[in-house]
Amino acid sequence: MTAASHEVSEHHDEHESTGVENRKLAMWAFLSSEFLFFGALITNYLLYSSRTFEQGPTPAEIYDIPFTSVSSFVLLMSSLTMVLAHNALSRGDQGATRTWLLATAMLGSVFLAGQVFEFTEFITVQGMTMQTNPAASAFFVLTGFHGTHVAIGVIMLLSLFGLSKRMGGLTDKRFLNLELVGLYWHFVDIIWIVIFTVVYLLTAVPGAGG
Amino acid sequence: MTDEHHLSHPSPAQYVKIAVGLAVLTAIEVALFYINNALGLGWINTAALLTLAFFKFFVVVGWYMHIRYEKAAVSRFFIFGFVLAFSLYGVVLIGLGVLAATR
Repeated sequence: MTAASHEVSEHHDEHESTGVENRKLAMWAFLSSEFLFFGALITNYLLYSSRTFEQGPTPAEIYDIPFTSVSSFVLLMSSLTMVLAHNALSRGDQGATRTWLLATAMLGSVFLAGQVFEFTEFITVQGMTMQTNPAASAFFVLTGFHGTHVAIGVIMLLSLFGLSKRMGGLTDKRFLNLELVGLYWHFVDIIWIVIFTVVYLLTAVPGAGG
Repeated sequence: MTDEHHLSHPSPAQYVKIAVGLAVLTAIEVALFYINNALGLGWINTAALLTLAFFKFFVVVGWYMHIRYEKAAVSRFFIFGFVLAFSLYGVVLIGLGVLAATR
């Protein structure tokens, strides 16, 4: 795909009454509604995080801040590789597009592996499970749902990569697909930016933090 | 933000610079966490961390999600959801916090 053909694709949407392609507007509307979803889960956690419970450690007492900081950095960098994939396709560079898509999926997988490790540590070493106390339950539900979103994103990225590999490149028609996956991926990143600060850094008990 | 696509998207080099900036902000956040642990900065720590997080949030939305370059319909959708969630859960947190304090 050439820069000129991308130019054309970007203006296919002009006939829409809003001036924005319907699928793209639907994605923005979906992401907008996701604020309410994650907002509810973050609020739920915050309401319980300041309370004390008779049973077992709360997440704030056992956070491993250095480890989570590295995970956050990995997810942040995956947003860079995602936007570079978008940029490469807009220039018609199919090889670079595939490379950056794969890099984004790999970084997302590293983040997920980190989350699996964190959950395993909390459950088996620290003895904090979903049933330990309401704060632990709220934490697992919030970060579990975020991890699920990341996993769905990784599947979409690998699908785009596979499609590009099989068809010898993403066509002009598929440019919007990459753009939609990109929007979803960056959204998952901004939600983690909020979770990392509000859920981890602001609620961690002094002395915790690795 | 514009309806007429006057702004051109950043170059790959500019995207990398933005990522470096975001990484530096994350490092400052983590440093603040440890400084607060040692010195007990109180509300200053909370305000600083929230400011940094919101700054990172808006940089990703503006430059990586390209909302700066999108039509107004898109940004209205997105900002509406964000403001609605922020207001709704802000009220819930303040309300329940006040309730808990009066018990």
